[in-house]
Amino acid sequence: MSTDTNLAPAMPSGEKPRLSIGERMSGLGGNARQYGIFAALIVIVLLFQVLTDGKLLLANNVAALFQQNAYVMILAIGMVMVIVAGHIDLSVGSVVAFIGGVVAVSMRDWGLPWLVAVLLGLAIGCVVGAWQGFWVAYVGIPAFIVTLAGMLVFRGLALVVVGETIAGLPSTFIKISKGSLPNFLGFANNMDVVTIAIGVLAVAAFVFSQLRARAQLRKHELHVESLGAFVAKIVGVALLVGILTVILSLSAGGTPIVLVIVGALVVAYSFLMGRTVFGRHIYAIGGNRLAAGLSGVNTKRVDFWIFVNMGLLAGAAAIVTTSRAGAAIAAAGQNYELDAIAACFIGGAAVTGGIGRVAGAIVGALIMGVLNMGLSIMSVDPSWQMAIKGLVLLLAVAFDLINKRRAGTS
Amino acid sequence: MSATTTPLLSMRGISKSFGAVEALVGVDLDVHAHEVVALVGDNGAGKSTLAKMVSGVLNPDAGLIEFDGEPTTIPTPAAAHALGVATVFQDLALCDNLDVTSNLFLGRELKRSGGYRDDERMEAMARKVLDDLNSRIPSARTPLSWLSAGQRQAVAIARTLIGEPRLVVLDEPTAALSVAQTAEVLMHIERLRELGLGVILISHNMTDVRAVSDRIVVLRHGRNNGVFDAASSSHEEVLAAITGAPTLRRPRLHALG
Repeated sequence: MSTDTNLAPAMPSGEKPRLSIGERMSGLGGNARQYGIFAALIVIVLLFQVLTDGKLLLANNVAALFQQNAYVMILAIGMVMVIVAGHIDLSVGSVVAFIGGVVAVSMRDWGLPWLVAVLLGLAIGCVVGAWQGFWVAYVGIPAFIVTLAGMLVFRGLALVVVGETIAGLPSTFIKISKGSLPNFLGFANNMDVVTIAIGVLAVAAFVFSQLRARAQLRKHELHVESLGAFVAKIVGVALLVGILTVILSLSAGGTPIVLVIVGALVVAYSFLMGRTVFGRHIYAIGGNRLAAGLSGVNTKRVDFWIFVNMGLLAGAAAIVTTSRAGAAIAAAGQNYELDAIAACFIGGAAVTGGIGRVAGAIVGALIMGVLNMGLSIMSVDPSWQMAIKGLVLLLAVAFDLINKRRAGTS
Repeated sequence: MSATTTPLLSMRGISKSFGAVEALVGVDLDVHAHEVVALVGDNGAGKSTLAKMVSGVLNPDAGLIEFDGEPTTIPTPAAAHALGVATVFQDLALCDNLDVTSNLFLGRELKRSGGYRDDERMEAMARKVLDDLNSRIPSARTPLSWLSAGQRQAVAIARTLIGEPRLVVLDEPTAALSVAQTAEVLMHIERLRELGLGVILISHNMTDVRAVSDRIVVLRHGRNNGVFDAASSSHEEVLAAITGAPTLRRPRLHALG
């Protein structure tokens, strides 16, 4: 989750006596906010673990947490890119319903194999994204308007496609959301060996990438973080991944397939945002669109592809949602856009654009998911659940803003 | 100055109209390597218009541009960049949310063979460019939002040094800066000259202009109104040329052609 940390300002220690305390504090800014939101997630998890008498972290509940919230995480990845570029996308919920409908129809009525239907869904997502991206980037209509229109258009199309609930989808397709990786390596002490192996591989890959990044910095004689902080970071991540792995390996199915999908997306998009030119240009456009344009960034093209990508991910979310429901319904995806947007802002994205991380958005989505699950286990009335989630969103952004003001960077 | 050598940039008879407004009429401008040429004039005299032609943002209606003695055109900012012209615009073209390195390389990021960014090489180069300018920015990883106005200007100037330019255009680099910050920026401009670049400095501030420039080109109502040697001309002479006030001596038109 932290492959995109290179935009984070690292302050070399003992190099600049001229900085005030305020500047020093804000020097931790990028990282501190990222760690802050992560710490908030852990606090919330522990809080509900206590409030639910330990039910929250039961193996099957943790697996369900990922299965229930996969759609938010997938959408939040695309949404954080849209928000960083200074746009918004209100249409993703409707797009999910529309694509979900087409995918279901293609399997049930046209008899397409599930894999072809999945690819079709992703392709339609790209087309929908290109449609909206065209209006935003090349015609210059604000994304708020374009996607508000899209919200109506695609909800309407979803109603056309899904006259009545389309059920009876292939079981392989339903496994995407409900299934787990096969336990072909057997069990050790009741723990699924496949899950353990994935956890070990993930930690190894993380350690390897961190060591490589450090070696690169060394090679160019650039500042690297102190060995203590470096080791602490690796041990911390390894510990958390380890705990998650052990819990999941004890669940009924082992590793949920959607978790693998989401994990792959998180790694890929963190890399895209953190290490590629395209990612850098998204941040630049969000920070100062005019300056980015003057510097030779093709702002229109970047805007366009951001929306194509959002469409693609909305397609992926549609597949996950339809597969989880086992059927397509016209009312699917209601409020999904708001869930994704909330996850981004809880995860530290700035309303004005230019700031936000994939990892942050994922943590934001998990915070919402844990709240949902914890409150449900405690049998809190759904109406109150909604009110509580609203307050959490408000407080998270307020906290962020106050912190920034105190650091004097806003 | 070095009127005998071929100028780096030579503009002859440049004219530009915006509708009925004649922004520039038959303007000449020469810039040599190792030379800071100040472009001065009152508001609306056409300084920025001329500078934008050098940086490819605007195109002249008429006139000739030579670079290294070769006739050329500068139709786009990309063409200017290809010629080795780098521009610092008045409204700083920087992104507050990005760090110093990212800003220096914005729009021309270095890539590794895999296609992704080579952040380490960019940071090392950023460090070197900042040192070349004698900049006091502590870390190339500092986000722009933490820098002072003067330090931002230093970043903007450092930006021009990426890609080994030959001519740097600075549009009002000291506007809205404190005295200390102005001094810092002027020092950076002198460094540009020491590095062998040609510099076009647009400024309202005559003190700054006289402090760093070698020649002062005065524009008035879109026309040339005198070229002065910065070392030997008096403040009053230049001021008179800018305002069009009657002067006792005619400005010495030299170093042209």
